[in-house]
Amino acid sequence: MTTAPVARRALSLLSLSAQAPPIQVPQPKRRFGRSREGSLKERLQGIAFALPAIAVLCLFVIYPAYYTVRLAFYKSDFLFSFTNWVGLDNFKDLFEDKAFFDVSEFPPSGAVFNNVRWVIIYISLCLILGLALAVLTIRVRYESFIKSIIFIPMAISATAVAVIWLLVYSPNADIGTVNAVINAFGGNPVSWLGKESTVNYAIIVAYVWASTGFAMVVLSAALKGIPTEILEAARVDGAGEWSIFRRIMLPMLSLPISVVTVWLFINVIKVFDIIYVMTAGGPGTSSRVIAYTMFTETFSGNPGRGAAVAVIMLVLTVPVMILNIRRFKSERVMT
Amino acid sequence: MKRRSWLVLLAVALTAIVASFAATGYGGKAKPAAKSAGTIEVLSLWGGSEKDAFIKVTTAFTQKTGIKVEYTTARDFVPVIRTRLAAGNPPEVAIIPRPGVLSDLAKQGAVKTLSSMGLTNAYMKARYGPAWIKLGTVGGKLYGVAAKANSKSVVWYRPDQFKKYKVKPAKTWAQLLTLTKTLKAKGATPWAAGAKDSWTLTDWFENVYARTAGPTKYQGLFSGKVKFTDPSVGRAIRQMLQILNNKYLAGGVQGALGTAFVDGIGRVFGAGAKAQLYFEGGFVGGIALQQVNTKLKAGVTINSFPFPTINPKYDSPMVGGGDLAAAFKDNADVRAFLQYVSSAEAGRIWVSTGAIVSPNKQVKKTAYPNLLVRAEAAQVAGAKVFLFDGSDLLPGSLADDWGALLQNALQKPGTINSLLSDYQKKAAKEF
Repeated sequence: MTTAPVARRALSLLSLSAQAPPIQVPQPKRRFGRSREGSLKERLQGIAFALPAIAVLCLFVIYPAYYTVRLAFYKSDFLFSFTNWVGLDNFKDLFEDKAFFDVSEFPPSGAVFNNVRWVIIYISLCLILGLALAVLTIRVRYESFIKSIIFIPMAISATAVAVIWLLVYSPNADIGTVNAVINAFGGNPVSWLGKESTVNYAIIVAYVWASTGFAMVVLSAALKGIPTEILEAARVDGAGEWSIFRRIMLPMLSLPISVVTVWLFINVIKVFDIIYVMTAGGPGTSSRVIAYTMFTETFSGNPGRGAAVAVIMLVLTVPVMILNIRRFKSERVMT
Repeated sequence: MKRRSWLVLLAVALTAIVASFAATGYGGKAKPAAKSAGTIEVLSLWGGSEKDAFIKVTTAFTQKTGIKVEYTTARDFVPVIRTRLAAGNPPEVAIIPRPGVLSDLAKQGAVKTLSSMGLTNAYMKARYGPAWIKLGTVGGKLYGVAAKANSKSVVWYRPDQFKKYKVKPAKTWAQLLTLTKTLKAKGATPWAAGAKDSWTLTDWFENVYARTAGPTKYQGLFSGKVKFTDPSVGRAIRQMLQILNNKYLAGGVQGALGTAFVDGIGRVFGAGAKAQLYFEGGFVGGIALQQVNTKLKAGVTINSFPFPTINPKYDSPMVGGGDLAAAFKDNADVRAFLQYVSSAEAGRIWVSTGAIVSPNKQVKKTAYPNLLVRAEAAQVAGAKVFLFDGSDLLPGSLADDWGALLQNALQKPGTINSLLSDYQKKAAKEF
């Protein structure tokens, strides 16, 4: 039995040099996924296995993506048909729209820069809190209890999260929790969602509350995967808890951290529902993000411009996806 | 054995593909059945008390004709109707909240004309006033049956509080300002606003604009003939800000911008509320009585007066809204339904709930259940000039952007001119 893999490795080594004559080696039977070695039948089998998935992908991903990209070059109508070719005008309009992209003053504003704010603050808060909770809860006896409480918001839909936080932030001190506290200490109520300077941060905090649980659970599971021998060895060698965290845990968690980061990133680029319910992009247009602009442009404005926003979103997410896939591949080679 | 298994697999894969293509093929081209199907679907954004009232009407219709009505609520009406039309699956009837949307749909040929379905112009004119006929007309053809009317020129107050502060409702803008100042001087919070929902601000603007620039300019502005950079627009916004400012609003401008429409009502009519006046439509009464504070008594702790006049030349035009029923398919059931909805009988059942005001002339005043709705019905019926909610007439994303502009104007009154010139650039492309 053990001879087969050895033989195959020899074969693959040999096939690297072009001059080497083909050697007949007994092939292991029923091995899929290596089309160069497989017979016609095996190749067909492979295709047959992949076909349903490919068909579904084409129908629900490739075709709509193609449709959207094409639509971005038309003015279109409410039937989303390809009428009124306008070339790059949709993109031009968007970058001239101050609600979407405004670099006329510092700091720059508009939906794009609000999204940048979201990316930086939301991702770092989720990661820091998630990691801190994962490392800390592992040390206490009622770990699972604390973790379930922190994870609960993950099970709540974004709309419900928005409604809950609307109550928390209400400017009426008789309703809003935060303002009730401020009031109790003698301060004046703050209209968290009615002020341009606070509205984005207020919504980000609400969304962090809803997503930290995910980061915590993933990182905590990864943390438990670190062999205790390593940690014990470090302790025996006299390493302090902080240096164990920094020099052992953090490097060993780098893959799960990058996975969580990508998940959070995609979550941020598509964030819409919580903003729609909490502020509808207001006051003014100060809390609009890219996905929010996509929604308003598609359904109340011109679908072509909505599609152009979607294309921009796609362009923003693709590099991160590619990076992540590369990362996965390299990790697989290493282990 | 082995061969058979992979053949089976291939067959399964192929059927899956064929089935999926067949499904999409049929889905797009399904044609409405021309004959009576026994059930029709009605789509609208009504929820809560408006929905309950409508269900009462459809129940009576089903009892009378045996035709079942399936009611679908879509709070986000426009995206839903657009996607359903694009998918080739529209409802039989939709109740459209914005005439601008009806006109878009009619121009694309998605809705049926009423005359082609047996509702002649004479039939409609016997039941609806010219303003309502005009709203449902696109390109000279009548498409929509006015199902519901409301006044958006109403100021709400608490009579008991007014007695306590010894003040009276205002008839003119000057009186309204005096009233506001008096309340402030006596230590009360004069106004509340639900400006987080930006449509409450567009309604404020429309009332002020109709009274300062006149109905002709009003109609011109919202149909693209008058520019937003016209001095009358900035002037009307500044006039609004005489009341909507940090001094008079509950929680100041920021507080108002953080308060939604219904929460705003609560700031005047909720238990232990402190603010005194609230401007919005006639529908505030129903929401205040049923949702905000069930202890309110019409005429004692809640009442209303019409939005005051500003320039005597333009008197008191009524700004209002209305929903229009339009058909996307034509069959005997749909015809029967539209006929019923436009009848006096349906109108009577409808208004008896207190949730709506009927634009139907044949519905008598006595059918209204309380003083608050009766006052609104009288205002709707008696208005010399009826102006449709202007922001609902704005095409495309201009409506949303207009609300956002007013929110910005409240926060930074100094930037009104530059906001308006930016907005005019957008508007020039849309009209």
